[in-house]
Amino acid sequence: MAFVEINGLVKRYGALSIFEGFDLKMEATDRLVLIGPSGCGKSTLLRCMMGLEDIAGGQISLGGKEYIEGAEAGKMRIDAKIQKDVGMVFQHYTLFPHLSVLGNLCLAPTRSRGMKKAIARDKAMELLQRFGLADRADFYPSQLSGGQKQRVAIARALMLDPKLMLFDEVTSALDPELVNEVENTMQDLANAGMPMMIVTHDMHFARNIATKVVFQERGKVIEAAAPDELFGNPQQERTRDFLRNVLHING
Amino acid sequence: MNYEFNWFYVQKSLPDLFDGLLVTLQLTLWANAIGLVFGFLVALGMMSKIKLITWPLTIYIEFFRCTPALIQLVWFFFCVPIIFNVWWSGYFMGILALGLNLAAFNAEAYRAAIQAIPHSHSDASVALGLNAFQRIIHVILPQALILALPVLITNGIGIFQQSALVALISVEDLMYQGRYISTQTFRPIETLTTVALIYFAVSFPVSQAVSYIERRTKRLLAN
Repeated sequence: MAFVEINGLVKRYGALSIFEGFDLKMEATDRLVLIGPSGCGKSTLLRCMMGLEDIAGGQISLGGKEYIEGAEAGKMRIDAKIQKDVGMVFQHYTLFPHLSVLGNLCLAPTRSRGMKKAIARDKAMELLQRFGLADRADFYPSQLSGGQKQRVAIARALMLDPKLMLFDEVTSALDPELVNEVENTMQDLANAGMPMMIVTHDMHFARNIATKVVFQERGKVIEAAAPDELFGNPQQERTRDFLRNVLHING
Repeated sequence: MNYEFNWFYVQKSLPDLFDGLLVTLQLTLWANAIGLVFGFLVALGMMSKIKLITWPLTIYIEFFRCTPALIQLVWFFFCVPIIFNVWWSGYFMGILALGLNLAAFNAEAYRAAIQAIPHSHSDASVALGLNAFQRIIHVILPQALILALPVLITNGIGIFQQSALVALISVEDLMYQGRYISTQTFRPIETLTTVALIYFAVSFPVSQAVSYIERRTKRLLAN
């Protein structure tokens, strides 16, 4: 069984259907980047994996263990213990503004995992050091730049030792000059061997960080391949159209 | 105006006025304790999808917002004992009526504040493994408090002023003492002016602080 397996995922918003039997596999050594036109369900897919969306059918498993099973409205089964192994960073800043950087990092470990305050603090400082944010530990989110906020959000997710990280367009809301620092942080994390699923519109970054790129359209995987193949020699007509559009290549 | 000012009696009864002020402050603090805690619970209840919860709460909020505080107070003092066959002091009834009145107004302030918290914080809480209770206590409540603080303080100081109504049900607050002294000494102008100034001296700095706090919270919560 693959590290991550999504089988027969069904997701609908009322009459609008996003997925009708969506399958995807990912290995623990993979960094999977999802690309595709907006509205094709990339973000929804990550949200389903995080357990943020009610799914009407299908199963999602991590490390060989199924943790989300879809069912009719309100009856979705979710295994909170395995769900906790998944970390996620969002497009919009989600740092809690009433807590300092350190407070943001320590909240979940101390409140939901029973970690001792001093230990959480040490761990937080270690992470902030690694991200070059140690001098911002006592700052409040409103005193940080957008790039710093997103890096703190990444550190906050890492506090919980996730086995899989989900990144949902984490640089889309940033000013262009701040994108790099966040992407570099993600690249560091990738180099350290963290399995990731990434939704991004930055094709250059996608090509650099991915081990596998999935092109998705209307709730279906159109093409999945290593980045050099998918960007260098796309097999499907729709993939070519999409890349031509986003990369502004003529011909 | 042919009136000779005489401040002697007011000066002499200052200790009584301060006793009254103490009662007024106690009423204010207790009513605010009820208003801050119960108001938040009501606001949470109002977010529920269950009509059996939201309907009674809506009736409660609208009833207290759409009737004069005076009638609420008098109603509690005279009707509750008959209906429920209990006898509680005017002091206690005053706290209850003022507290419930304040909670109704505060609930609206909290509700607006909670709705202003980005929904993404809820998603982030789930992603961080916080359960519903932890999310409410550590993410929603502190932000709602900070966002609603200026309104909560304004409401709270409003109750400080409204609490003067309890003099009508014989609670010996600042207003009660003032009226008593003014009739006893035939010095209404000196006494009642002093009483008004005491109310003002407490309220004014607090209302001035609100705009300062508003600026600070805006800066803290700016994203």
